[in-house]
Amino acid sequence: MPLVNNKVGNDGTVGTDKALADGKALVDSLMKVVACYRHLASCVGGCTDSLQLRDELRQTREKAQKLAEAICHHLTSHLRDKSLPKEQRKEMELLWVAFSSSLELLHVDMCKVFNVADIFSLANSHTLVQTGLQGGGSEVAARALSLPDLNQTPSQTLPASLESQEHSTMEQEISQIDHMIDDMEMKVNVLRWMVEPHGPQYADPLSSTDSTSLAMLSVDEEQPEQQSLCQRKHIFVLLLLFCVVLLAATLSVSIVLFS
Amino acid sequence: MTIRNTLRDHGQRYRPRMACLKKAEKLMLEMQDPKTGVKSQPQRLVITTIPHAITGEDIIAWLADRFQVDAQEARSFGSTLVALGYIYPLRDHKRLVIKPDASLYRFQTPYFWPTQQWPVEDTDYAIYLAKRNIRKKGILELHEQEQYNRLHKWMNHKWDFIVMQAKEQYRAAKERKKPDRVVFECQERAYWVVHRPPPGTVSAMDYGLDRRIDPNTEEVKTPDYYERIMIFTQQSIMRPRVKSSVSIGALVKYCATYRSHDPFLSNCLPSNPWLTDDVTYWTLNMPNVEIPTKMRVERWTFSFGELLSDPRGRNDFRLFLKKEFSGENLAFWESCEDLKWGTAATMREKAEQIYKTFLARGAPRWINIDGKTMEVTVKGLKHPHRYVLDAAQTHIYMLMKKDSYGRYMKSPVFKDTLQKAMSPEEHKFSDSQLEQNAKKRRPSLSPIVLRQQEQEQKAKMAANVDITQLCRFTTPVPHLAVYSGISDFPSANASPSLPFLAQTPVCPSPISVALDSTSASDRRVEASEGEGEGNPAAPATVGGNASKSRVALSLRRLLRRGCTPTTMFASLSPKCHSAAGTSSRIQPISPDQPSQAPPRRIANFFQIKVDIPPECRIYPIESEDEDEETRAASRGGVGAKEIICPWESLSPQNGTG
Repeated sequence: MPLVNNKVGNDGTVGTDKALADGKALVDSLMKVVACYRHLASCVGGCTDSLQLRDELRQTREKAQKLAEAICHHLTSHLRDKSLPKEQRKEMELLWVAFSSSLELLHVDMCKVFNVADIFSLANSHTLVQTGLQGGGSEVAARALSLPDLNQTPSQTLPASLESQEHSTMEQEISQIDHMIDDMEMKVNVLRWMVEPHGPQYADPLSSTDSTSLAMLSVDEEQPEQQSLCQRKHIFVLLLLFCVVLLAATLSVSIVLFS
Repeated sequence: MTIRNTLRDHGQRYRPRMACLKKAEKLMLEMQDPKTGVKSQPQRLVITTIPHAITGEDIIAWLADRFQVDAQEARSFGSTLVALGYIYPLRDHKRLVIKPDASLYRFQTPYFWPTQQWPVEDTDYAIYLAKRNIRKKGILELHEQEQYNRLHKWMNHKWDFIVMQAKEQYRAAKERKKPDRVVFECQERAYWVVHRPPPGTVSAMDYGLDRRIDPNTEEVKTPDYYERIMIFTQQSIMRPRVKSSVSIGALVKYCATYRSHDPFLSNCLPSNPWLTDDVTYWTLNMPNVEIPTKMRVERWTFSFGELLSDPRGRNDFRLFLKKEFSGENLAFWESCEDLKWGTAATMREKAEQIYKTFLARGAPRWINIDGKTMEVTVKGLKHPHRYVLDAAQTHIYMLMKKDSYGRYMKSPVFKDTLQKAMSPEEHKFSDSQLEQNAKKRRPSLSPIVLRQQEQEQKAKMAANVDITQLCRFTTPVPHLAVYSGISDFPSANASPSLPFLAQTPVCPSPISVALDSTSASDRRVEASEGEGEGNPAAPATVGGNASKSRVALSLRRLLRRGCTPTTMFASLSPKCHSAAGTSSRIQPISPDQPSQAPPRRIANFFQIKVDIPPECRIYPIESEDEDEETRAASRGGVGAKEIICPWESLSPQNGTG
């Protein structure tokens, strides 16, 4: 879904429409950030875990929280507004559901990162799990922070105080998200079962060459037996074609000879 | 809904404690050490190579070395690690086992390690499936398709979010380098194979029912908590101790006896349903199947407790006792069990009923217990509680065990059952058949349905009562009401109107009819005024007439409703001529006294003391050919001697009874 430009149509549109569009944009970017955070979180504790990764995680987290707060204010104020027309309210509720689900995902991810960072301290790097990853998460972080490039100055040493500081800040942030979710539930009563989604049941397959090659990679990996079978099938078909061609050739030759 | 609403959610959502997870995590950390850990090698794919792949044999060797165990043990340990999800196979990802050859595995990233604290969310699963579908439509397998549709139905309100999040995650993944993308996909796939296993995969995270309380919460150390601990330790100290040689000997004996009956330790015929998903074994061993299996019948020979606890065995035993005319023991035992396990509200009535049927002098199914036990029981019945009949029940149990059980084992009934018992053939399934079975797995009958069936069966059994224990001195309870021993009492407090019988669709247990008639009569008593105190002076005649009319009334009602099987059985049984005779005798009398309101009689119901002369013990009926008319009159008198519950006699008589 393309990012909605925040500055679309500031004049001539109803205030709530703009509010809706604003909300949509914010929620979209939050979802993007949450998705990127999940990718980054999956690297924690693995062999690519480093200060850089932790830093990226922190930055992504901060961005997510800023966005979350903005959306919270925006949506709460609009949903508590009794004079909202019905369709707008429905749209707002959809956004609300998306927002709360994203927050929940973020919360779980943050808790998991917190726990894993507890177990794996960067000081003794020989216990980091050899997961097979090679690259870091810089590109993903760049996407999350909407920056074209992420220039990090990698700091080599890790003072112990930094880790514990990070620990406590994480705790704070997690409890902040906690409170936010609680507050949301208290202030606005959205009946989730009444919300009807627009979209299709299945996401449209995004066609690109990249995806097909990826598919081939995993197919290669898991089904070598099937590949040989495919090859056998190909050979069989080719053979059949060859025979047909041969037959046609002999027939034409015989016709020519005997006519 | 979410993981957060712990306050408002009273359901069972916590996984049982899995202490192995923490231990496995420590082990995983050890395995990573570049010097002392497991050796890794790069995995070669068509386009790229990915490092950190380990072979199965390396893992097994390392485990065997670390724990100093043999290879077989290390292999099962390794399979557990794979089943838990700490290591995943790169080929054949659906079978979570370790193969002791050069097949490759990889460590799972800590983010995807199984945790105790956070249950695996369906939202995440839906996002994962949607993501897989984005890559190429139609790539989902059948079970995944089913799950996807189910989630779509139940999480419909979130579906926009799920689809969009799936797209975002997909796009974020595209930012990564190709080998990393492949690794991440493998990791995610392995994670979901463990937590949402496809049919046929056995994962260690398949755990059964959730718990109500979170096993991870720290228990708050209140004074109550410490008190509980103190009580527990005190009881532990006071527990009777057994020598270890004795207890170990008992364990060994138990294992030796039951080893061949355990489905996992030995061969389970026709096939082990837990392994092959084929439920024949369970259908053949249903509680009330006609033909039991040979193994089941063999179990009955192990001990008397085994025989009684198996419903089919109990039925067989009941049949045997019926032939021996000592069915009242089992009936009493069953009624005691019923009392112990029943609801508290019905306890008093049940205790009364049991007393009237089994224990009182002149009871229809009198059981033979020694005087001391009888004394203790009757005393306890004044204030009935759940375990008041324990002494008597134990006595009867030992009696049955020492006496009837031995005879049962040698009886033709048992031999017949043994002969008819069947032994099913072993059934070997091919791999594709196993998959088919796994797909066809369906949950069993709901417990509500099972309970309903049980109730129906009890009602049916209550209707066909066993009435072999009557004698001339037993109270002529009209329809030969005897405790069938199994009932779950339909509550006797039905509506007070007379045609109450018309309301119960099932042929009611005779007891309930008796009780209903009593209550109905009671209400008639209350309605009538000016009756005053029942004069004990003329209980006999009035009582006799009234009892007969009351008996006749209810009997007539019963017959009208067509509940004749009891009387039919009565007439068939050789020892109950008088019973049949009673009914036949009573019938002609009844038209003579059509409208005798028996109010005062009921007021005396609980007051008339029975003084059965000692020579009139409970004997089975000898013959029928005594002059019946004289009998009728005297029987009327005797009939007035209703059974008194001892506690009732203590309560003061009030005007309305």
